[in-house]
Amino acid sequence: MAKLGIASIRLTRVSIPLTMVHAGSMYVIQKAERTVVKLTLEDGIVGLGDTWGTPEVFGLAKQFAKDWLGKDALDRIALRNATLGKSNYDNKYGRNGRAALAGLDLAAWDATARSLNMSLAELVGGRKRESIDVVSSLPAAFLSRAVSREELTAHLDVLANTRLVVDFAQEQVRKFGFRNFKLKSAAYSPEWDWKLLNELKEAMPKARIRFDPNANYGPATATALCKRLDPLGLEFFEDPTGELEGIARLKAAVKTPVATNMWVVKDEQLAPAIRRQAVDVVLGDLFMWGGIDAVRRMAKTVHAFGLKPALHSVYETGISTVANLHLASALPEFEYPNDTSLHFMSVDVLTEPQAVVDGKMQLPAGIGLGVTLDRTKLERVALESTEIRS
Amino acid sequence: MAAPISIAHAHVHSLRVASGAEALVARVLAADGTAGFGFTLNLEAGVARDMAAWDALGRSKGVAFHSLLGGSYRKEIKCMKDELPAIPPDWTALRKDILDGRHELLRIDPFAWGSVEMVQTIAAVAGAFDLGIALLAPNAHAWEIQYCAALAATLKGEDTRIISRKDFPQKEMKVSTTPGIGIDWSLEPSFSKIQWQS
Repeated sequence: MAKLGIASIRLTRVSIPLTMVHAGSMYVIQKAERTVVKLTLEDGIVGLGDTWGTPEVFGLAKQFAKDWLGKDALDRIALRNATLGKSNYDNKYGRNGRAALAGLDLAAWDATARSLNMSLAELVGGRKRESIDVVSSLPAAFLSRAVSREELTAHLDVLANTRLVVDFAQEQVRKFGFRNFKLKSAAYSPEWDWKLLNELKEAMPKARIRFDPNANYGPATATALCKRLDPLGLEFFEDPTGELEGIARLKAAVKTPVATNMWVVKDEQLAPAIRRQAVDVVLGDLFMWGGIDAVRRMAKTVHAFGLKPALHSVYETGISTVANLHLASALPEFEYPNDTSLHFMSVDVLTEPQAVVDGKMQLPAGIGLGVTLDRTKLERVALESTEIRS
Repeated sequence: MAAPISIAHAHVHSLRVASGAEALVARVLAADGTAGFGFTLNLEAGVARDMAAWDALGRSKGVAFHSLLGGSYRKEIKCMKDELPAIPPDWTALRKDILDGRHELLRIDPFAWGSVEMVQTIAAVAGAFDLGIALLAPNAHAWEIQYCAALAATLKGEDTRIISRKDFPQKEMKVSTTPGIGIDWSLEPSFSKIQWQS
């Protein structure tokens, strides 16, 4: 097999309504926007990817895709270096560039795996698990519609409203059997977070719960809150504060593990984090790290130094959700359950439904990602689409 | 990561190479019948079997070794004589030395560290700490150099090179694009005389 030439790339920006209102410290949203990538090789084999759906990332993906035509999908490293340069200094597009690359990269891995008659997990390192535990996110507050920040804080001032989130979590247990949760925090009221986490643990004593304020608490507030939360035995504090120094000081003050998907998101941030002993867990997000090779290297590096890698995601289509299942199956360094939000997406773009059952998702059978794009479903949620071909 | 391939049969054979040294040569038969080969001159069979499994996978799929790992960081590898000691296969010591800033270049004998997986992990760490990697061909045997070249293609870093205790006939070596690990087994005439068990 001399080469897997890339013949065309179709990009479709989609907007998918959520079945709940996501409330956190960064935004309150009721839909997720993604860019779906369909990469076709010269022999007709198709690879799928997806990534962030902002107009900026869609535009960069379109720009990069033009340069990928005719190139060899077998050599994803050469494609990456030609697109973003050899170092992060050379990458003039920042994290949007890494995200745009990651969507194309995933499609190239999928197409390559299909061409080699292997599953993506096998190509990444071996198909070692068929079933992966997954984590359900929980909104900072349970809302019936997307609200302004002022309305959200008014809701959070009524501490009795925490009960609504506990009820919502228990509904996820009943529907999907979740045993793992990530509580998003609005980082507005430590009292709210403390009360809510205590109630969640009381209602679901065996549940593993991670707590994620997205670094929007200041270091003093975060440290005081996390020390109070220590006795609950949470799974980890995810970005309780920032930046690397702040999170390192917090980690030194608490017993619960500390994780990040904000302060260690590229190669050159690994060594400072390891030297500073800043975190216990590095959450790898395909789209922040810029593709499979970067996430795989991160996982091996942090594991070699006694830290734990885990897979992060937020409101992705089934394509990326399945990609993360393959990564978790292939790389034994990933011991924590995978983030997933697919059960909150009102529709997916795949032909094969991907379900959470008993708190787990199954690795699809078959080659590549093991899934196919449903053109009708895709068109129903499409905002814009473009095809790049020579 | 061991090579993700279903293995039907594996066999390790002792071989006297032209220099008089003893080598272990492994043959792995994949479930689809493809044969792959590996070797070592340090008499630790694990590395030979691991290499043979990757070779079988590459041959079975019709692609070069580096294509199985994501691609190639380079088309040519620098070759240099280097007499400084290689880092012993001891993760605890290596971690400490890296954190203490004792290395600029990680001199790694892939036959001593034992597997493709191990070399990939060291390379990931080296990339994160901005360290170069020098892959040692411990006996400067042509097969060792070719294996180091196959590995080096997959390693990030501008300083990646192959080293040996002797001068190389060439300053650079091209990355093989032939299916499998890219070793020319005919360089040792005794290889073709091996009676492999079926």
